[in-house]
Amino acid sequence: MNNKFDALKDDDSGDHDQEQGSPKDNEKEKSEEEDKDQSITKKKMVVPGPGEHPLQYNYTFWYSRRTPGRPASTQSYEQNIKQIGSFASVEQFWRFYSHMIRPGDLTGHSDFHLFKEGIKPMWEDDANKMGGKWIIRLRKGLASRCWENLILAMLGEQFMVGEEICGAVVSVRFQEDIISIWNKTASDQATTARIRDTLRRVLNLPPNTIMEYKTHTDSIKYSLGRLPWAGEC
Amino acid sequence: MIGSLLFYALYPLSWYLSRRCTGQSEKDLSPKLINGRTEWDGGTATIINSQSETALLDQIRETMGDEKERVEEPDLKDNNTNLDMDKEPLTVFLHKETKNDTAPKMREMQSALKEEVETPKHKNSDDINPQQALMEQFKCLQIEDSIQEVTCPKQKQTQTETLDVSVLEAEESKHICSADEQVLSSDLDESKSPAKTTSEVTECWDEYLAPTGDVTFNAAGDSEIVYTDSFLSSTQTHPNLDEQHDAQTGWHFPAGPGLAQEVQCPFWQLPAGSYYPPMEPTVPLEVVWRIWEDLDQSAAAAECALTPFPSKSASMDFTVMSYNILAQDLLELNEHLYIHCPLEVLDWNYRCSLLLKEINNWTPDILCLQEVQENHYHEQLYPFLSQLGYTCVYKRRTGTKTDGCAICYRSTCFAEVAVSKLEFFRPETELLDRHNVGIVLLLQPLVGQGAGVKEMGPPLCVANTHLLFNPRRGDVKLAQLAIMVAEIDTMIKSCKAKGQHCNVVLCGDFNSRPHTPLYQLITTGKLYYQGLPAWMISGQEDLSYKPAYHRLCAPLWPSSLGITDRCQYITSTTSSTFESKHQKAGEHQYSHEFMLQLRFCPAACVRPKDLKLIPGVTDNTPDASADKQQDVNRFRHSISHRLDLKSVYKHVLPGSGCPEVTTLHSEGGATVDYIFYTPKHLFASEHKACGRFAGEGLKLTGFLSLLSEDVLWSMNGLPNHIFPSDHLCLVAQFQLDLSSA
Repeated sequence: MNNKFDALKDDDSGDHDQEQGSPKDNEKEKSEEEDKDQSITKKKMVVPGPGEHPLQYNYTFWYSRRTPGRPASTQSYEQNIKQIGSFASVEQFWRFYSHMIRPGDLTGHSDFHLFKEGIKPMWEDDANKMGGKWIIRLRKGLASRCWENLILAMLGEQFMVGEEICGAVVSVRFQEDIISIWNKTASDQATTARIRDTLRRVLNLPPNTIMEYKTHTDSIKYSLGRLPWAGEC
Repeated sequence: MIGSLLFYALYPLSWYLSRRCTGQSEKDLSPKLINGRTEWDGGTATIINSQSETALLDQIRETMGDEKERVEEPDLKDNNTNLDMDKEPLTVFLHKETKNDTAPKMREMQSALKEEVETPKHKNSDDINPQQALMEQFKCLQIEDSIQEVTCPKQKQTQTETLDVSVLEAEESKHICSADEQVLSSDLDESKSPAKTTSEVTECWDEYLAPTGDVTFNAAGDSEIVYTDSFLSSTQTHPNLDEQHDAQTGWHFPAGPGLAQEVQCPFWQLPAGSYYPPMEPTVPLEVVWRIWEDLDQSAAAAECALTPFPSKSASMDFTVMSYNILAQDLLELNEHLYIHCPLEVLDWNYRCSLLLKEINNWTPDILCLQEVQENHYHEQLYPFLSQLGYTCVYKRRTGTKTDGCAICYRSTCFAEVAVSKLEFFRPETELLDRHNVGIVLLLQPLVGQGAGVKEMGPPLCVANTHLLFNPRRGDVKLAQLAIMVAEIDTMIKSCKAKGQHCNVVLCGDFNSRPHTPLYQLITTGKLYYQGLPAWMISGQEDLSYKPAYHRLCAPLWPSSLGITDRCQYITSTTSSTFESKHQKAGEHQYSHEFMLQLRFCPAACVRPKDLKLIPGVTDNTPDASADKQQDVNRFRHSISHRLDLKSVYKHVLPGSGCPEVTTLHSEGGATVDYIFYTPKHLFASEHKACGRFAGEGLKLTGFLSLLSEDVLWSMNGLPNHIFPSDHLCLVAQFQLDLSSA
């Protein structure tokens, strides 16, 4: 039970379970040592430091990368996704963010996820299963700026849709980058419309930008190969 | 000097000659004799001419800046007949030359010029027989005239014109007219009144009109002239004055003192069978100094026709006045600015009574005052205004100055939602070391009466300020304005959070001229300021001759001021004053700017202990030098704001194109006071169904016209017996759509 994704596994009711015991990645083995510490820190919620500016919610950064050379279908989502860290204040957010590479400088088939603490960046999570996401496809070169604007708006509670927001994802792909924001209730049109309008404003998108809303149930239905995460649409 | 004079004298002459041809051809196409008007009465040619005239005058103004008020006069007459207009610039130059006492050589030139002027006119008059005789008589008169009396011909020409009109219109009166005119010309010969008086009279001729009475020439030779209704309507030489008659139903000022004797002039009896209606008995002359311009009528009619449901057009009209009332302490501190004034008009009690009368006359729904001296506010203004039903908010300037700003609103029309009194003196910010203040109010319109009063319609944000005067410190003015705008922006945001659109009325004394960078920032929402000389921001004076002046460079103000280059507060739960009150308890909302501020704070630069090193993913190091870059990016070389603002006034007088002035003292006049408002855009009403806020924008339905510098000087400048301050009040009427409630 030293697996760093224990926490994920316990909660997971989805199909990923079957693949959970599959051979370990190099990266995972490398990190075995630290797992104990992490599982301890994970138990207690992060809190803002003294004098820091608390966020409305705690958030967790995740990173995922498809290992080159292997067909996507054989890889588990959870094998590939790594928790980077959680934070509770603006200062703590910057502490993580500043030490992370900008999405535009990532190589390969990678994603950053930023989700509220306790919500996994998976369709099957309880918070997500009735939900959906707004997707914006970006030409190369825009991802870093758009991602930063998106998460600053999310952390700063600029969307004003109560507890509806679950998290955000930036997916770096070969010819384009994709950013998306996930919410709890796909059927709540007032909320999704508000999120869309806020997105337009905070990302300062050109008027002809295409924005697409996709429910996670549709995502599950159409992703036959169980391509697991956002952006693979 | 002589060279330039020659140039400016001969240049218009060449214009004159070329234009004469245009006028001639125009005339051939459409004879203007129809409707009993003179053949020089306007037409296309006139419009073209007046444009070139204006351009020309601009040039002249540049060279002869300080005699502007004289040179501008032809502007006023642009709408007069060609005959009149063509000669005036020349006359004015001649007048100027005489005034300047140039060499006798100039005199030779003048007479030469005059003869040249006469010649084409004479040629022209060949076409029109009845005028020839008159022309020739006047030509003689003019040549006989002494050079020192150059203004006289000008006046006579104007008079000739009036006579011409009558000649053409009432043929049988021709002989009587010429007889009268003989008398008149001798009158004029006798009237060797000082040049100054004469020129003043000619100014009055244009702008100060009696709406009643008849054409009269004072036989005593004092050149006191009363214009008449019938004269105006028959010649239509003063389109702008026709508006005056339309506006007579509107508000206006009572008769001006000192003008009564003009009515006493004996009337010039028109012959029987004249075109003119029989004369009315003399009524007391009422002078309309400032005209109420109604913009609503045609627009409202069109709108009603288009609106399928007239019932939904629930709207509210309200008026706003902005008035710098000139604090007595400041008046006494700057006595040199008021040396032209008789002592009695500088007396506070006298000024106060005029002021209260003026306010009472207009009873604006919202009154924004500047330079309100604290003791006068408490002793006189507040008691008076509260008795009239106003609720008042007063903010005295910080520092030692005793005056401040006030916003008063009629309690029956508005309820207060929020008040913010702003001090622009910020000890922690070096730039903001001046003691100016502003007030921002959020008002809720009220509808109904008595017990039936209810809140209705979108809120209204009213802001009033008096920015720093110092013409060299445009940078300070911009920073003060930014504080003002940021506060308004906060009010708007608080409304938006409640799903309401907030309209804005921003008024005050901005100590900046129209179309300067500061004005541009307000009206266009954006200003690229990098490298601009600080004096240029307000354009009050041209200080480019100074060897070293301060230029603006980014950042315009430090981030410690808490205001971004978009003129918005950097908000957080701790620093925002207004928003936090309206937020749910415990909600942590942060703006983009606020988040960015903390980006490289010390706490954020330490690598988190629990952060695993993933090469190419989490191996970035925060770059402190990037912070500088960020800072520069954050505070760009331009500042902007999101308020959509438009000025009520156009800054030139309709018709004449003369610059409006809102303030005047012995060092000159200018527009520095404004009323800006959120305008109603056409598309907003079209898209109402698509979720835009109803009631977005205000419709300007009328305003009180301003005056030109000439006119004010002819009233002996400001303050005077009619206007109690060195500023004029600005009054505008808006229509607010209430259907959104």
